[in-house]
Amino acid sequence: MLALIRMSLRNLFRQKRRNLLLGSAIAVGVLLLVVANSFSRGISDVMINKVLRWVTGHVTVAYNERSRMASEIFRDKDRINAILDQHKDVILQREEAIGAFVKAIGVGKADNLMLIGLDFSAAGNEKSRKETEEAFRLIGGNWDDLNNSTAENPLIISQEKARYLGVKIGDILRIRLRNIYSQDQSARATVMGIVKSDNIFMQPVAFIDMQKIKDIMGFDAHSTGILNLIIKDPMRNAQPLADALHKQLNASLAVIPAAAQKSDLPITVLGYRSDPDSRDKLSKLLTLRQGAWDTLWKDKTALVSAPLAQRLRLKPGSSLEVRYTDKWGNANTPMLIKVGGIFDPQKVWGENTILANDEKFYEQFYEHWPRAAQPNEQAAIPGTSHTAYALLAPEWILLPRTLTTEDLEKKYQDMGKKKQKATLIDVRTMYEAGKMVLQLEGVLNLITLTAALILLFITLIGVINTLRMTIRERTREIGTIRAIGMQQKDVRNLFLFESFFLALFASIAGVILALLIMWGLSSITLRMDDNPLGMMLVNGHLYFLPTIWSVLGNMLLVLVLVVVTAFFPARRAAKLSPVEALRHTE
Amino acid sequence: MKKSFWILMLALMLPMAASAAESRIISILKSIDENYAIKSDASAFVQMTQQKINQGTKVTGMQYYRRDRDDAFLIVMTAPENEKGNGYLRTGDNFWMYRRNTRTFQHINRDENIAGSDAHGDDFEERKMLEMFDPATDASGKEIFSEEKLGQIPVNKFEVKAKVHDVDYPKKIYWTRKDNNLILKEEAYSSSGTLMQAGYYLKYTQVDGQYLAVKFMFLDEFEKGNKSVIEISNISTKPLADSIFTKAYLENLSK
Repeated sequence: MLALIRMSLRNLFRQKRRNLLLGSAIAVGVLLLVVANSFSRGISDVMINKVLRWVTGHVTVAYNERSRMASEIFRDKDRINAILDQHKDVILQREEAIGAFVKAIGVGKADNLMLIGLDFSAAGNEKSRKETEEAFRLIGGNWDDLNNSTAENPLIISQEKARYLGVKIGDILRIRLRNIYSQDQSARATVMGIVKSDNIFMQPVAFIDMQKIKDIMGFDAHSTGILNLIIKDPMRNAQPLADALHKQLNASLAVIPAAAQKSDLPITVLGYRSDPDSRDKLSKLLTLRQGAWDTLWKDKTALVSAPLAQRLRLKPGSSLEVRYTDKWGNANTPMLIKVGGIFDPQKVWGENTILANDEKFYEQFYEHWPRAAQPNEQAAIPGTSHTAYALLAPEWILLPRTLTTEDLEKKYQDMGKKKQKATLIDVRTMYEAGKMVLQLEGVLNLITLTAALILLFITLIGVINTLRMTIRERTREIGTIRAIGMQQKDVRNLFLFESFFLALFASIAGVILALLIMWGLSSITLRMDDNPLGMMLVNGHLYFLPTIWSVLGNMLLVLVLVVVTAFFPARRAAKLSPVEALRHTE
Repeated sequence: MKKSFWILMLALMLPMAASAAESRIISILKSIDENYAIKSDASAFVQMTQQKINQGTKVTGMQYYRRDRDDAFLIVMTAPENEKGNGYLRTGDNFWMYRRNTRTFQHINRDENIAGSDAHGDDFEERKMLEMFDPATDASGKEIFSEEKLGQIPVNKFEVKAKVHDVDYPKKIYWTRKDNNLILKEEAYSSSGTLMQAGYYLKYTQVDGQYLAVKFMFLDEFEKGNKSVIEISNISTKPLADSIFTKAYLENLSK
């Protein structure tokens, strides 16, 4: 074996010119494959980890409170974070996606802006900051100025918008937006920096400190906005993580364990669903002792159990104030209840039960989230198997999981038909929410790899042809070594070793050349401001992502192809009879 | 610029009533609310002229039908030409936008814009001042209330603050006539305290013994130069056919 290897290496260096040409062809093939593969991986990385990161994250936990467009808020941040903490092994970053379309008035001009919150404080995520700085080149000012306490609402704005609005660093912008309650809100912001993005879709942006935008939009300390999750190996983990989160976000019944204001009488306040179907079922399920259903529905008033009404001397039209302790320990949180009907609790409901209209109930529940009901306080609540349970207001409504963009759109259309009172929670992945981006990534990868494979195929045809020529040229040599006793198998292996070593050296050279070319190409600064393909650049440069395993994989592919290609001519050479081979003339 | 249609319809039913009881502000708000409730059906033609900086003037016309007892209203667009025949229908919790060209209904949110204007779906809902606002007080706990003159007219000027989030502006200042509580002017502020919009009630008329504001002007105080003028005509409080508040009615108009 060693003798064969030595012979094959000697033959390689003996036929320098021919092998140099053949090796060059193989090296070019490897070069093309490595560059194309690295570019393709770069596109995937940019699309999935840089573009989708801004658009949807890999997995998104989204909310909508009370069907208001701007109310993308969930009022119990700790609850969500506790669930996400259980997946720390997969979740690399969790980022609140808080932003707003604002009308900005600069120096004599007004325009729309996309205002995005960034956490560049010491508590913020360093990796996230680095990625932001990569995606948006600072051409004036300083990112740290987002937290400049001497300026009013420091803001970093895109060059395009700064130019249109006529503002420079230090100028004041006035902004107008709809806050989470859909109220008109305004603020003044100081331009502290100007950025440039290669992504055409990111050009109408301005950045502001996360806490500042939360304050402007009306978030309190316990609330969170939509959470974009950046995860490990998103292609593999996104769906399983979304499924797991979805399971954990299942809602319980919303209960306010309260007490009467004057008597300290314990009262369980529940919400009843007020959609027509639920109202119909509720009116059949409950026996109304006082009041009228029509008035009750129209006035959005509450139903009080008869024993409680008797104790507190309540009747339709009267009001009652109850108090409870909220989730954050604030005792005596008031809740005003307007009574519309008195119902018979029978054996289903507790004696001290109030059923509030869900619209009114959620106003209170979300603004002042109550502490969890104790087991003894839950005794008055119908069990999950009881018909009444489905007619009561849950803490939130968890939307069903969808796997495709089409299903996601249909889900939202269906939800849009209902004027939901509860907060909607949806868990979605980039496969549903970022389908367009992923499709673009897939198409670009396909184009790149197809082009590379065509070139590689052409190169391999050249290699096959050259190997056949080589064997033909060396037929007399084959006859000689066969005549002096070399076995058929050794002749075949000799040619295979020669091909293998040639491909190995050529591949190494090809990889080195590919790395040099990628370094050279990525050093060129490209200006693609108005071209959507600019989103594939990183800081104005082409982005290649070669990895050891992808390079080794490419080398292995070429080695296997060359050896397989060489196998058949080598076998044919080995089978030649020594006499015929020696007689061979060109 | 914000054109609050609930204000518009509030003005449609604005009373001459005046009272003086517990709180002067609450008393005024209560009198407005008492007369705001539309007990009968109502219909009117509304013309909105919007003037925006660098965008010229846009005139929007709409026929408006309302029935509070069913939480229903219907808006049929009559102008501009590209909006003609489009409509908005609310019945109970459902709120649809109708597109004449495609003859389709689409569910929309109550906070979406109506016909490209700054009015939202929820502006058309029945709202009560007392449910939305409380009197604002100064540092000493005293209501912010004064008596002054608006031009030559003696008025009460007072400030209210929102007690619910579901309002467009959390703070407002009103100027109401001393003799009959008719609103003459209002200023709307954002929660940061910036004056966003000023509204002027330019003309009133009487229908069924009630004073109705039929011309308003809203000035955008944030983006100066934008303004809207709303004019109401052909007001009727006659009963409306049930069929008006249906999808079929809108569809038939397109035929």
